[in-house]
Amino acid sequence: MYDYVVIGAGIVGSFIARELSKYNLKALVLEKENDVANVQTLANSAILHSGHNPEPNSLKTKLCLLGNKLYEEVEDELCIPLLRTGAYVVAHNNDEEQKLLDLVETTKANHVTEYELLDYAEACKTEPNLAKSITKVLSLPTTKVTYPWEAAFACMENAIVNGVEFKKNSEVTNITKSKEGFVVTVNKLDNYHTKYVINATGVNTDDIAAMVEKHVSFKIKPRHGEYYVLDKRVKGFVNHVLYPLPTDLGKGVLLTPQIHGNILVGPDSKWVDDKYRTNNTPAGLEYVKTNAKHLAENVPFHQIIRSFAGIRATSDQDDFIIEESKEAKGFYHLAGIDSPGLTAAPAIAKYLVEDIMHVQDKYSINKEFNPIRFKNKEFGSLDYEQQLEFIKKDPLHGNIICKCENITEREVLDAINGPLGSNTIKGVKKRCRAGAGLCQGGYCEEKVYKLIVRETKATPLDVCYDGAKSNMFVSETKVK
Amino acid sequence: MNKEIIVIGGGASGLAAAIAAKEEGRDILLIEKESKLGGILNQCIHNGFGLEVFKEEYTGPEYANKYVQKFHESKIDFLLDTTVLHIDKIENGFEIILSSKVTGMKKVTCQSIIMSTGCYERTRGSISIPGDRPYGVITAGSAQRYLNIDGYMIGKKVFILGSGDIGLIMARRMYLEGAEVLGVAELMPYSNGLTRNIVQCLNDYNIPLYLSHTVTEIHGNDDNRLESIVIQEVNQSYQPIPGTEREFSVDTLLLSIGLVPDITLMDNLDVEHDLKTKSVKVNQAYETSVPGLFICGNSLQVHDLVDNVSMESERAGKCASEFVLAKKIESNESIKIKAGNNLLFVTPHYVDFAWASRETVIQFRSTSKIEKALLTVSQGDKELLSKRKSFIVPAEMETFTLDMNQIEKGSDILVNLEVL
Repeated sequence: MYDYVVIGAGIVGSFIARELSKYNLKALVLEKENDVANVQTLANSAILHSGHNPEPNSLKTKLCLLGNKLYEEVEDELCIPLLRTGAYVVAHNNDEEQKLLDLVETTKANHVTEYELLDYAEACKTEPNLAKSITKVLSLPTTKVTYPWEAAFACMENAIVNGVEFKKNSEVTNITKSKEGFVVTVNKLDNYHTKYVINATGVNTDDIAAMVEKHVSFKIKPRHGEYYVLDKRVKGFVNHVLYPLPTDLGKGVLLTPQIHGNILVGPDSKWVDDKYRTNNTPAGLEYVKTNAKHLAENVPFHQIIRSFAGIRATSDQDDFIIEESKEAKGFYHLAGIDSPGLTAAPAIAKYLVEDIMHVQDKYSINKEFNPIRFKNKEFGSLDYEQQLEFIKKDPLHGNIICKCENITEREVLDAINGPLGSNTIKGVKKRCRAGAGLCQGGYCEEKVYKLIVRETKATPLDVCYDGAKSNMFVSETKVK
Repeated sequence: MNKEIIVIGGGASGLAAAIAAKEEGRDILLIEKESKLGGILNQCIHNGFGLEVFKEEYTGPEYANKYVQKFHESKIDFLLDTTVLHIDKIENGFEIILSSKVTGMKKVTCQSIIMSTGCYERTRGSISIPGDRPYGVITAGSAQRYLNIDGYMIGKKVFILGSGDIGLIMARRMYLEGAEVLGVAELMPYSNGLTRNIVQCLNDYNIPLYLSHTVTEIHGNDDNRLESIVIQEVNQSYQPIPGTEREFSVDTLLLSIGLVPDITLMDNLDVEHDLKTKSVKVNQAYETSVPGLFICGNSLQVHDLVDNVSMESERAGKCASEFVLAKKIESNESIKIKAGNNLLFVTPHYVDFAWASRETVIQFRSTSKIEKALLTVSQGDKELLSKRKSFIVPAEMETFTLDMNQIEKGSDILVNLEVL
């Protein structure tokens, strides 16, 4: 019997898991994918917004501001990387400048205390490639960039260390009410009994809610967004997150510097019917390209190494929905968590646990809770002397597996064997970036799969790219 | 450690360059990141290699072995499983940081570097093919490695995008291994592979080639595996023509959409880039704008025949040796070699009179297929060469030699290709 079952191990589910592990209770996290952070958390801009944009007095605003601050706390505790970029919201003409002033009002109303209006020349001092058509800029110094799936790994690893159970490849197929709470059925096979259920399933929140409610009070309206990834060799082309003025459809196409030097270009925003289809479209990519040109001059599109798409779990309501089910007591929804969901995630977890579920009134504090999750510094980020030290301690750091990103054998082995290790090509790439560079795995995929084979005592035929049926190979050759 | 010359990369190019420089008596270290010398040749188990150099036809591994043997006989120092992480220009040479499991990380210095780092394959991401993003879309070279070296098939129903040579070779290879190969789509109105590969790899096995076609849709199934692709004919500006869609049910899409010279190690060096070759500019000695830094093989320009790689790298090796012997060769006056009409690119980019004793071997690719052409090379009003050529295609690199005695200081050299 569990106290809490959390459904969904995205960034929100992961922060909730860690928050729950601060109490003496029994919690289980169920994830339908073969990894933590595999859907919305894997396909977004990676920005920790300052809170300049959402409606004043909304949950989005409150939790965005608090979340932004909380990341500063977990940065060292959990080794979650932060890049303090700041952001520029740009205006191109009188009309847009007026809207920028309106945005300043929202910014003030949202209690974002740090902001500044700059004219084009001033902004260019720190951002020399700004589009020449820009006339005014709203500077938001508290905007940051993180590494979203690393943040989710960090929380989930820490939650596991502190007693939370985690099961991947576990799709919830049915939920029934029971005397003590709920019975959650996974893969139409296994039943888990629990007092409370937390529904943190992104685009699936309405479907999961429908398992316990006759009249689900919200509906997910999937919103598709596409991106280009520029190679890390563009590092420095822009140094701030560059936003256009927000519209009803969101924050628009952005240029976003990433932790490892890449720049993301995107996203567009399209309502779609299929909440699972993360395809790229010629129209979407073209839109992204066209709009990026309003932010910077000569965007280095020749350095594109990848395109991808994601689905936002936007709901039919404006604000985040963080509440107890009206029909099923003890069942909690986290729905409509689109932007600024990543920013708000740590605050959402606290708000849910303390203000909505009142866990502190039901369970005692876990005195053994260890807030620290340690991760080695990335080998490639060290200077020569530090790298020598690393290699002295562990010669496997001397063997470079991914030469585009300088990822060492030790880093790949940690990705495979770590507390939340993965035996898939994508899982390894998410954990240590082998294959994330210029050649997109052309050089190192072969080395990575062989390390997976060696470390997990599998055969090459067992190795998967991601999900359980995504085997790299279909057969051996006829002659061997 | 201090060496006269460090060769980076132990494939066809690095081996030939190292052997040539060693013949001149140089002290050389060759660094290879894989556990075996020979580079990509090791996975090219088909034949067709060596006709120019050895006047005999070999498979890739056989061709590589010819050079590997000679390399070992020459007693050249080398490191395997060793990655070069960084190159710095220092006074009188270079400092290289290398790393391996055995030696750890080390700094070594040298007077001259020969870059023979080869090329990497363009991926789906680099050309932004729209559609779902399932598994089963893979570069032809990776599939070739998995099949020929590791012994694993990546799929059974295959379509190939791009008619580059690796794609064509893999069409035949997958067919012979029992896969169904449904076709090859090529964006251009002509093939990007060698004619002999079109004949021997596609025609002989009735594999259709769809010229002026590209992949416009990719569909994955519920398990996110490739299920089908759609190809469409394109118009003259390479835009898909509505109504020409054709769907193929496949589990594998091989990409043979081009190779890019791997020059990332030169990122922090003051080299001059060539946007056409996607590499750097060199003079007739294969020296970049950084004195003592030489480059050859597929890291200079993507070749279609390994024989040309070997011969080019041999020349580069000799030049690097000459550079070391002379202590330093100051750039004398240099003139440009410019690509004129109908030329995609031309190498080398400069004739430097400091290297006046070196013949100038010029290589180029045309921008389109030309049945009959007149190749002219001129310097100002003076015509240096005029030659009729028939059947020039972008897929086949053309080579000719200029006699340095003909070339004067002053005006640039123009290489032109007129359609007759």
